[in-house]
Amino acid sequence: MTYEQRLTDFRHYVGAGGKVEATDWMPDDYRAGVLKFIEMHANSEMMGAIPEREQIPHAPSLQRKMSLTAKVQDEVGHSQLLYRIAEDLGKSRETMYLDLVNGRSKFHNVFHYPTRHWGDVAVIGWLIDGAALVTQAALLESSYAPYTRVLKRICAEEQLHLRHGEVITLELASGTDNQRAMFQDALDRWWLPIVHFFGPRSNVDKDLLLRWKVKTRTNEDLRAEFLDRYVPKVLELGFSFPAPVPFESGGHWVLREDDIDWAPLDAIKRNQGPETARRLELRRSTYEQHAWVRQALAEPATQVA
Amino acid sequence: MDVYEVFRRSGHKQPFEHCGTVTAPDSEMAMLMAKECYLRRKEGQYLWVTRRSEIHSWSDEALLEPAADKSYRFAHAYRDVVQKRELARRRAGQLG
Amino acid sequence: MTESLVAIVTALGDDELILGHRHAEWTGFAPHIEEDVAFSSIAQDEIGHAAAYYSIASSLTGLTRDALALGRSVGEYRHAVLCERPNSDWAYTITRQWLYDRADCLRLTALEESAHDDLRHLATKIRREERYHLIHADMWMERIAHGPIEGRTKLTQAATTVLSATAGLFEPFEREADAIGEGWLTVPSEELGRRFVGEAVDALDGLGLPAEVTPDGWRAEFVASSSGDLIATDRSGSGEASAPAGLGGRSGRHSPDFSALWADMTRTYRADPEATW
Repeated sequence: MTYEQRLTDFRHYVGAGGKVEATDWMPDDYRAGVLKFIEMHANSEMMGAIPEREQIPHAPSLQRKMSLTAKVQDEVGHSQLLYRIAEDLGKSRETMYLDLVNGRSKFHNVFHYPTRHWGDVAVIGWLIDGAALVTQAALLESSYAPYTRVLKRICAEEQLHLRHGEVITLELASGTDNQRAMFQDALDRWWLPIVHFFGPRSNVDKDLLLRWKVKTRTNEDLRAEFLDRYVPKVLELGFSFPAPVPFESGGHWVLREDDIDWAPLDAIKRNQGPETARRLELRRSTYEQHAWVRQALAEPATQVA
Repeated sequence: MDVYEVFRRSGHKQPFEHCGTVTAPDSEMAMLMAKECYLRRKEGQYLWVTRRSEIHSWSDEALLEPAADKSYRFAHAYRDVVQKRELARRRAGQLG
Repeated sequence: MTESLVAIVTALGDDELILGHRHAEWTGFAPHIEEDVAFSSIAQDEIGHAAAYYSIASSLTGLTRDALALGRSVGEYRHAVLCERPNSDWAYTITRQWLYDRADCLRLTALEESAHDDLRHLATKIRREERYHLIHADMWMERIAHGPIEGRTKLTQAATTVLSATAGLFEPFEREADAIGEGWLTVPSEELGRRFVGEAVDALDGLGLPAEVTPDGWRAEFVASSSGDLIATDRSGSGEASAPAGLGGRSGRHSPDFSALWADMTRTYRADPEATW
């Protein structure tokens, strides 16, 4: 069979809802696309551990200290699951790590921003995890089977995180003026990055990942679902949105495209977000400091006399 | 380091199920890491880890399609049991 | 009568809380992703142990667990200075966990004889988990100790620093004599400390680590020789100009490391005294 024939067969197979395993034949484009997508997801879980980890020391109760540690542990656990399946597509963990710290691969925009206080934990846990869950649930139908298996577990844990974040939000919302101000302050800073999180409008004709059914829904479709689901909940708690302010139209919560300032997202795409350099440097220096540990893990243990 | 395949079982009535992989320097550490990566919410009580290179796999969907009718291997091939039982009863009634 | 009991569970809770706080700092930054997940569980376990000790203290004092954990001033914490030290590198962290867990297993075994029911039952529960922590630490210690030279060197340095500071774990609790009298404690801390040093030196020796230890904390200077002998010299009379590093925690004297940790740890809690979280 020629490459062209195989490619056509593969296209039909995937187009009809067929699932692909790591050991199956796949077009180079597909392998590269899936790898890049999963690698970015893995990077995002790994980098996403940082902002919340920054708040673990400040947790206001023993229960929250443990639950937030467990949540960050889950994020690291997700990166473990994702890096493992990305490795199986042919790129070593070390190369992925080096590409990340050297800015050759990307991670989600929201993890390029600083956290300031406990209000950030509420917004990240509830709204950013809520946004992530919308996008990840849409990927459960992805054509790449190892990814969907891992996502099944990730989504289950994200559901829990969402509950965790919502409970923390409700604690702040029903608390003192100071606590309410914490949430509002965090929302003011995070709202635009959350809107950006779904990405600009998808170009259906050009998006290879949509064509290969690695992704199954467009960015604007996912953003719309998120707005409908979360905007009323935030308003119900008496908080308000900064620009771009959502408004009701035809039974849906929507944004005016012109209200969205895309410049910060463009900067992040060039790895020039507010925390990008510092966090990558933190990762890079830790990685270097651990060279001796990796060596100890790599070599078979030998009994010294 | 090696890739280890991880299997877990949640009770005596369940079979072991594959649940993921870990990268580890030896089987003992693989076990320890797998315990935290795959059992930290008590998703199981028993754990197996085995080096991926020790797994032998087979898959060929085409070979699972038999050339001849092998429906006798399945319960649905015996759905006429009701009818046959009825016939047999009738036959027994004629013996009298 | 219960004051001595409160003193013990507070000090033990503080040890676990502060070490757990340090351990949790590794979350997201451990040297291997799978290990990151594993070590974070240990951090959560330690904080959970702290919560359980504070629950006993809470039932005796009427203060909430969180008020005990986060509502005290720097000088009111009673943990050993060893627990508050920064994580430094992975060798230091693993060595500290390894020696701490050994010390804790000894303490807990003794507490399983306590006359106080809750404390006795808690000791049994915690010891089960600490045994698992020790398996984890043993694996790492063995791998590094038998691995390439760079790791071995770091481990030797860490063992020297940590072992000397473990003395702080066996400083007597406040009102310890009362606690012994009541049967809350059955073995004096000093005696446990002696047993611990013997075990720790043997264990280090078993790993082939030539840990030359001249602890400020322990009253005797000793060298763990490769034969496992404990060579001791009496330092009494050498005139202690300053408080030895690693001691003082049980009476609330901490290092500047703790002031920084405390400020971080209690920041949100202190920010709004009216708030419930």
